[in-house]
Amino acid sequence: MILSDTGTSRVNGYLFVLERSLATFLPRDGVRDAVREIDSHLRDRIAAAGAVPDERTALEKILGELGPPLRLAQAYSVEQTVDQAVVTGKILAIVRAVWHVGMSTASGFFAGLGLLVGYFIGAGLVILAMLKPLFPNNIGIWVDDRSIAAGLDLAGFRMGAGPGVRAGEHIVGGYWVIPIWLVAGFGLLLLTHRGARAFLGWWRRRRPSFAVTVRPAL
Amino acid sequence: MPLDTWQEQLRRGTLDLAILLAVASGPRYGLAIIQHLDDLTDLVVTEGTIYPILGRLTREGLLDAYWVEDEAPHPRKYYRLTRQGARRLALMTTEWQAFAAKIDRLMAAATAERNGRDSE
Repeated sequence: MILSDTGTSRVNGYLFVLERSLATFLPRDGVRDAVREIDSHLRDRIAAAGAVPDERTALEKILGELGPPLRLAQAYSVEQTVDQAVVTGKILAIVRAVWHVGMSTASGFFAGLGLLVGYFIGAGLVILAMLKPLFPNNIGIWVDDRSIAAGLDLAGFRMGAGPGVRAGEHIVGGYWVIPIWLVAGFGLLLLTHRGARAFLGWWRRRRPSFAVTVRPAL
Repeated sequence: MPLDTWQEQLRRGTLDLAILLAVASGPRYGLAIIQHLDDLTDLVVTEGTIYPILGRLTREGLLDAYWVEDEAPHPRKYYRLTRQGARRLALMTTEWQAFAAKIDRLMAAATAERNGRDSE
């Protein structure tokens, strides 16, 4: 089958959508290689179709067997981002994969939310510990004397950074909080990171159904 | 579990092995692998999803991918087994045969027991 201008535009449109979708998740080289391979696949399929009376129907059948470009891009992205994260364990790869899985499935969303909280708290503790020597009077554990006096013990404590000590408050926590926060922060980051890798590994093993689709029996 | 889901899981679980077997005898490009699977099995897959799996097997070091520019009017990306891929394929084949033999024994035992009950 030799494509008309309309058919060529349809194929180019398919490849354009695929490229744009892949570019969201994959590095540029990966996108170029994947699109080139799919382009090659389409050219082979179109050439093998021979002369057909209805180009449009034949072309849609070929594209349909390949699957919608968004779905194809999703399969590529999930395979690549999750695999890269599990294999390399790099923080950026993990975050990207968790984000991707979180956007794809409900279980991924809730797991991603939990992992995000873990990363934020862990990173927050490490940052506080590093800033403490620079701002000794603005970072520490804040104690609200009025809450303590009223018997609301836990409500009277606040950890973090602030502009300064207000009336009715005093700050506790000297430099001894630094090692505690560092250990707690890095510990939490490590635990969350291991949790993220374990989750992605589990997710990869059970692979969502779009990895293979059973074609209905004819 | 619905039959469709079970069938899909079965296909999903064996697709890596099927793809490795498809390139065991020599390099093949994506469409040739799909056609090979279509010709010899009912492991029918949506064509597009083969490519991400080929990419993963390549990243895992089981396949080696390279472009051939002058074979057709357009370039084709070929896949061949690496040494690691060949070792994995041998392990997977052995594992599959052992697994299939266990299920065969179970089915044979079930058939024999059913025949025994029927004849009593």
